[in-house]
Amino acid sequence: MTSGIELKNLRKTYDGHGQGAWAVDGVDMTIGAGRFITLLGPSGCGKTTTLRMIAGLETPTSGQILRDGVDITDQPVTDRDMRMVFQDFALFPNMSVEQNVAFGLRVRRMKGRYSEAEIRKRVYQFLDLVHLADHAAKKPHQLSGGQKQRVSLARALVTDPQIVLFDEPLGSLDASLRKIMQIELIRIHRELGKTFIYVTHDQDEAMAMSSSIAVMRGGKVMQFGSPREIYDRPANRYVASFIGHAHIVDARMEGRDAEGSVLRVGNGQRIRIANDNENAAVGQTVGLMLRAEDLSFEKAGADTLGGCVVDSLYRGEYVEYVVELDGNAGVVHLHARTDLPALDQGAPVALRVNPHKAHVLVQ
Amino acid sequence: MESVASTVLSAGARETAVRSARRLDRRRMLFWVLPPVAWFSVFMLIPYALLLYTSLGKVEDMRFIPGLSLDNFIRVFTVDPYLGVILKSARIGLMTAVFSAVVAYPLAFFLAFHVRSSRFKFLIYLLVIVPWWASYLVKAYAWKTILGSGGILNVALQKVGLTDEPVRIFLYNEFSVVMTLTYIFTPFAVLSIYAQLERIPTSLIEAARNLGAGGWMIFLRIILPISVPGVVAGSIITFSLAFGDFVAPVLVGGPESVMVSNVVINLLGVAFDWPLAAAIGLVIITLGLLLISASGWLEEKTQTRF
Repeated sequence: MTSGIELKNLRKTYDGHGQGAWAVDGVDMTIGAGRFITLLGPSGCGKTTTLRMIAGLETPTSGQILRDGVDITDQPVTDRDMRMVFQDFALFPNMSVEQNVAFGLRVRRMKGRYSEAEIRKRVYQFLDLVHLADHAAKKPHQLSGGQKQRVSLARALVTDPQIVLFDEPLGSLDASLRKIMQIELIRIHRELGKTFIYVTHDQDEAMAMSSSIAVMRGGKVMQFGSPREIYDRPANRYVASFIGHAHIVDARMEGRDAEGSVLRVGNGQRIRIANDNENAAVGQTVGLMLRAEDLSFEKAGADTLGGCVVDSLYRGEYVEYVVELDGNAGVVHLHARTDLPALDQGAPVALRVNPHKAHVLVQ
Repeated sequence: MESVASTVLSAGARETAVRSARRLDRRRMLFWVLPPVAWFSVFMLIPYALLLYTSLGKVEDMRFIPGLSLDNFIRVFTVDPYLGVILKSARIGLMTAVFSAVVAYPLAFFLAFHVRSSRFKFLIYLLVIVPWWASYLVKAYAWKTILGSGGILNVALQKVGLTDEPVRIFLYNEFSVVMTLTYIFTPFAVLSIYAQLERIPTSLIEAARNLGAGGWMIFLRIILPISVPGVVAGSIITFSLAFGDFVAPVLVGGPESVMVSNVVINLLGVAFDWPLAAAIGLVIITLGLLLISASGWLEEKTQTRF
């Protein structure tokens, strides 16, 4: 059994009078049971505070937290049956790995639910799940960072919580270990089917693991949607530039029909793209989001954008060209195959835009 | 040929250079090592040697006669009251250590976990150590006025009506000695326990609460085990200070609460039995070494590595 969480206009300030800066400023979110949700944003965006309020480690200044429709805003942390995986692992240094994992099964509320033999069996079952059964007798300081994080995960999961909270759990691990742990987490989420609520500032991590991402900034949720929606159809310029490396050029909505929209880019060139943003009115100034992978070199002609090469960077897998578009429209990046003849600085080029991937930003 | 010769020569020269560099190094080393060695000799080695030398001799007609006899050590262990006084001092020291730890722990705990404002924390910290700016003698006298028959405690008891006449059991006995020593040395226990509690990250307590643990379980399973080395270290300090104390027994102690330092002072100043005093000193030093080694081992054993 799993449960979902609903946040209703959740707010938090650390200033006692409720007048200062809001760490979390009106978060509304519905997190479905069994989902893997990520709160993504730079440090200070309120993602960790939101998570800690869900856990009960912080008290909201106002707003509500519902679990399966029941208000749990004032429920004590010890009764919430949600387990948190901390960034610094928070393993009990005086206990062995086995004792750490068993801790949650020995608390008063669990009394009588498991016999000592069952506790042992369960502990080993979850140590197996995270591949650490051989290290049961060790103390935390004898483990590597990745092992510590897996103990902390086993300790959280062993009590069979319906919701598991993660506060930047991979933040202190190196890049390769992080990749391995990401795959582990996806596997464990799939095997156990619990609701995972995950906090990170790493967008690759968020994209790779989550079923939905909430992009946060300044205590507010900028956009909440699937990784694909967030990447392809960002709600605003902030999300577009935070996720991936989108370049946004100035454009004007010239016209729209059933087949698509015509945009004037900069002060001159026109291109046609598929309709993707109903909020953009004809005549309105908009931002046109162009990602490097959606652009390609083309012979100059209709529906291409002219520009000239400003810089080229050899990346091994591809050559990255920085192209300044004609008519002061802005700069875009483009990836070209390495076996094509190299273009010099200042070379005039024409770019084809994938009409289904270019995205119109109103805000 | 010539080149070979020059190589050999230069190799020889290099060797000489290396050797002279080493010699220089050694000379420089001496420069750095000499002061601590001198300090150690003058203030530790020679005094201990003198102590040993004195303890092996004897006094006749108020004159010290050197010797190589273990008589004084035998006297320490067989003649009344020396061994008894050492044991009593140890008992008083132990009680002081235990009471100090018991009094200090809640304060250190409060300071480490419940005081959030750093200014308030500093204030309490200051209040804990500020009594040390006052002379020890003054504080001991203060306890005399608190516990005495005309003291605050007795006046209060009479006012409340719990007793008609002054209660005399508060002062001039082992109780008052332990009480005074506990009061005076508790700050050391507070500081050493606090230092250990401060190392416990908040996330550990949050994690425990998140796992459903109540306050007592968190205290007994996490905080207390981690704080043991702090308690041990604090207790060693308070024990040692109380064990060797000679002011409290004189001021607030009774005829029964003579401690080992008082005996040594009497042997030195009144009885002129320096060899016996030296022997007692050496016995105490040996006991102290054993105690410190044992507690060091215990501290190491119980120290939690993060």
